[in-house]
Amino acid sequence: MITQIDVRDVLSRVGAAPMGDLVTRHTGRAVRSSIESELARLSGRTVVVLDFSAVRMIDFSCADEIVAQLVQASLSKAIPTDAFFLIRGLHDHMVEEVVEEVLRKRELAMVAETSTGLRLVGSVDEEARAAFSSLVGRGQAAPEDLAVDLHWSVDVTRTVLASLAGRRLVLHDAGLYRPLTAA
Amino acid sequence: MSAVLEVPQRFDEHGFESFAQAYARAAEASKVIVDAHACEWISPLGFVALLAAGQALRDRLGAPPILTVPSDRDVTHFWARMGFFSQARELFEVHGTVPRVRGGESKVLLEVTPVRVAEDVHDVVHRIQERSAEILQHELGLDARATMGFGMALSEACQNIVEHAGTGGWVAVHTYAYKKRLGRRVAVIAVADAGVGFRHTLETSQARQYGERWGDLAALEAALLRNVSRFRDPGRGQGLAGIRRYVQRWNGKISIRSGTARIAIVPDWDEDQTNVEQLAPFPGAQVLMIIPAAEALDQR
Repeated sequence: MITQIDVRDVLSRVGAAPMGDLVTRHTGRAVRSSIESELARLSGRTVVVLDFSAVRMIDFSCADEIVAQLVQASLSKAIPTDAFFLIRGLHDHMVEEVVEEVLRKRELAMVAETSTGLRLVGSVDEEARAAFSSLVGRGQAAPEDLAVDLHWSVDVTRTVLASLAGRRLVLHDAGLYRPLTAA
Repeated sequence: MSAVLEVPQRFDEHGFESFAQAYARAAEASKVIVDAHACEWISPLGFVALLAAGQALRDRLGAPPILTVPSDRDVTHFWARMGFFSQARELFEVHGTVPRVRGGESKVLLEVTPVRVAEDVHDVVHRIQERSAEILQHELGLDARATMGFGMALSEACQNIVEHAGTGGWVAVHTYAYKKRLGRRVAVIAVADAGVGFRHTLETSQARQYGERWGDLAALEAALLRNVSRFRDPGRGQGLAGIRRYVQRWNGKISIRSGTARIAIVPDWDEDQTNVEQLAPFPGAQVLMIIPAAEALDQR
């Protein structure tokens, strides 16, 4: 299942910033809390697309409160939903300069849809990036197939993919791995 | 005992220290007059520093200090247009004629604006994005990326007040030409408060690590260069780090003064010192950011 959340709508609901500027920790906490309430009503595995298209700007404090802490909550099971987060609609430079930094500070990572396609953002090593990129190219793959593409051993490929799945950066079903948009 | 604090003739980052020394000399005074009659030019930093001094004096004296307005009518008019007096009246007993100005007369990026709560930060960012994007893009040649970063840096600087100062503060943003130093136009952001300062904010979490080195400068280094926050949460302390990256990316300058020290990241076009200690004590924290116009714009 895919759940789309328009972050600008959430921002309006919490009564902050009618102009769509995601700034301050205070606002970030209110937005995150509202999103968590929304997610609590869902059940089963869900790809949660956080859509920032209508957001004008985001600062570090707000990005940390919303993006980084939602990812952290999903990993620590603090959110009851089996959520896989993906961000969409932010300017590429906001992804690179703001989201990347707040995720790295907490040693987290997530998937972002940018002008060049899906990419991993945050604290991720080169092997994980390569496997992710290859998987996005294929749409879905078993470790054996990706191992051929990457010229890696199957064991290494399996380990890297399992790590990506454990960090909720890809989906894993019946021996096949898929990027989040393919849910 | 009464004391007179002379506002420098030119009250910018260079004039600030003489004002801070005068402020420190008035520490024991039971009545204080802040005398701005000779002031001819003031920067955003001068405006917000004056207000921080006014708040600290009012709190200490239990009554508002006196502020005499500049003698030059044009200067006083400029102060009024910049929104200074509407803030100063809450802190000072203003002596002298203050001209009436209509709202919207100012063409600066942001008049002197109070920052007390998170909503004020939203207001500041909104005004910069709405009113000033065109000035930033056309006068300074900043692209959309730089303009958005400008809003981000402004937001984080103002949030420092809300999150850490323990009191309110002020922000002002102007553009002007730095002909001698740089030969270009610049945008100047000044943020100040009369709160507890960086040293006090970080003391509980950092003082033991620094041992005898702990002081105002060590606290500023920890905050600006090591991204340290008073919170244990690893996600905290990113605001100043983000500002630092933004300023460096656009070859700008950041300077933070708190207590008796000042730290700065100095670009090649400026000759300021990076770390200064044993300055005259001044309340709270004062942040100055200078973002130069894009080079390509100047070559046109």
